[in-house]
Amino acid sequence: MSNPLADMEKPDVIFCIGTNMTEAHPVAATRLKKALARGARLIVADPRRIRLAEMAHLYLPIRVGSDTALLLAMAHVIVREELYDLEFMEARTEGWEAFLEYVQPFTPEWAAGITQVPAADIERAAIWYGSADRAAIYYTLGITEHICGVENVQSLANLALLTGNVGREGTGINPMRGQNNIQGAGDAGALPNNYPGFQPVTDPANQAKFEQLYGRKIDLEKGPTKVQALEMAGDTIFAMLIDGENTVVSDPHQEHTVRALKSLEHLVVIDIFLTETAELAHVVLPAAAWAEVDGHFTNTERRIQRIRKVVDPPGQARPDWWIISQLAQRMGLEGFDYDSPVPVFNELCRVSPIYQGIDWELADSGRYQWPIPYRGHPGTPRLHEGGFINGRGKFTFTHYRDPAEVVDDQYPVWLTTGRRLETYHTRTQTGRSLGMDYLVAEEFLEVHPEDLAAWGLEDGDWARVSSRRGSLLIRVKATRRSPRGTVFASFAFSDRPINVLTGSGYDPITHTAELKVCAVRVEAVAPEEVGPIQETLALA
Amino acid sequence: MQTKTLADPLSRHGIRKVRTICGYCGVGCAVDVLARDNRIVAIHPAWDGPANQGALCIKGQFAYDYVHHPDRLTHPLVRGRDGRFHRVSWDEALDAAAEGFLRVQAKYGRHAIYGVASGRTPSEANYLMQKFIRVAFGTNHIDNCSRA
Repeated sequence: MSNPLADMEKPDVIFCIGTNMTEAHPVAATRLKKALARGARLIVADPRRIRLAEMAHLYLPIRVGSDTALLLAMAHVIVREELYDLEFMEARTEGWEAFLEYVQPFTPEWAAGITQVPAADIERAAIWYGSADRAAIYYTLGITEHICGVENVQSLANLALLTGNVGREGTGINPMRGQNNIQGAGDAGALPNNYPGFQPVTDPANQAKFEQLYGRKIDLEKGPTKVQALEMAGDTIFAMLIDGENTVVSDPHQEHTVRALKSLEHLVVIDIFLTETAELAHVVLPAAAWAEVDGHFTNTERRIQRIRKVVDPPGQARPDWWIISQLAQRMGLEGFDYDSPVPVFNELCRVSPIYQGIDWELADSGRYQWPIPYRGHPGTPRLHEGGFINGRGKFTFTHYRDPAEVVDDQYPVWLTTGRRLETYHTRTQTGRSLGMDYLVAEEFLEVHPEDLAAWGLEDGDWARVSSRRGSLLIRVKATRRSPRGTVFASFAFSDRPINVLTGSGYDPITHTAELKVCAVRVEAVAPEEVGPIQETLALA
Repeated sequence: MQTKTLADPLSRHGIRKVRTICGYCGVGCAVDVLARDNRIVAIHPAWDGPANQGALCIKGQFAYDYVHHPDRLTHPLVRGRDGRFHRVSWDEALDAAAEGFLRVQAKYGRHAIYGVASGRTPSEANYLMQKFIRVAFGTNHIDNCSRA
């Protein structure tokens, strides 16, 4: 997030797109509710009529995967109505003159044909966002999990640059990170293109720095992303070390994922349970869980916070830092003789410019948001105040393109996937917590009531959902949260593995999978096809 | 004059309270974990948590039983010739893990190994995952689970 969570209470206009915040980030949503109570106006763009949509002053029910068209048309209206911030553009951006020309053809009428949102509503959204003193954008994976995820984000950045809604209180471009430490994983350099602290591996100066620190030659080329690595498995990649990821259930196109992992000659998995992924491993190393280790998480607002050990891990389970250090030492590597997480964190701070101002002791207060470039620096709750790190803000000439897969006669229904409040990811944790099962006992497909009727189904019936990659049986639930022609399910339940269906494509730059769109067919199934096992499950 | 303090009701019942951060989504809510006899018995939202200011969702507040679940892995496992997992010592497991990576490297070269770090583990684990891959193999064959 460019701005701190506290800023969620301060905008005049809040534009949420592709975020089911009340379910996926419920506590952040409470801060947004405070802004609404204070009189802020809320615009929500989402294919599903989620809780946030019900709260909105203006709801734009866009067709899945049409975000860029909506955002280009909003830019068009802001330019046409001269709601842009000329002073800001002149002082802090470049290429704005060309951008004002560029958006001319993208009328709301043009976007209405793609997004299925009335042109008048697109105009209103643009005018609200463009006229506000403080307008803030919040988004989640509904923006990034598309083949055009990068262009979606760039289109959002265009709006903020156009209107000067960056680097001030209550504004900004704010992606909500989905996992407790997904921000920290990137910060710490677990990326194929960056060393710790987002230092590009392709820069020879960074290469030299880390070669000296680590005492060995390191490639100047970027590594493959995980998506590519799974495609290379069994071809050029033959061993993997996976720490705490249930790849088999969370990744798209399950059949492909399983085939990839099975083709490895050596798979080592570090985890707290024998997940579907760990079951494919050659060696499984038992890790200490949350509340059993000391360390740090970095949250969505870049705040580095200390986590503390409360209880001992069971049996011989050990903290990840110990496991990886031991493994490295077994392989004869130097520089891994850590006796606690303290020197590990201090080393991370030392080698990362964004963490350089802190260490284990200073981080204890939890008040630092990176970048903290030097000792004594107070941290940076709000990015881009007064200037951009990389010089001037650049407009991007984005283009709308169709999702990798569009509905047709054979697969006439859009499927979009996501999370639910009561389950987390692949349920390895929430599925083993008393009470959670009571709230959501099984996965179900959310379908508009009129679609159900048209397909010869009733609420609670079993249906077969098929895509070009696979099919599964699942019960249907009638709900107007789903628009006609679009169905939804979460990927939480391994016995209803929605990701057998997904995997139509991924963004060419980030390799983020298009988990938010694929084309499916939904059919009624005869009771005998459902079989006794499914019935038992239904009764359970 | 000495002020009288009320006996802390938690410690009277043998309950410890530890401040930490919720392990679910990326909001980073501060919580107080209450534990007795090496078991978590409750989680309270922290009123002074910078991200949550006393708020907490149902996952953060109630979904902690998994920590003590009997399904937890308690021993290293190595797949035997019979295709099944066998409980082994850490020594044996670490040797098997290390030997496998060295074997694959000898056979196919250093670009045949890949590491996937976690968005769920602490930054210390992530830092060491990338350091392990970069130091052991001199490659950038490392990613985390943010793309899917």
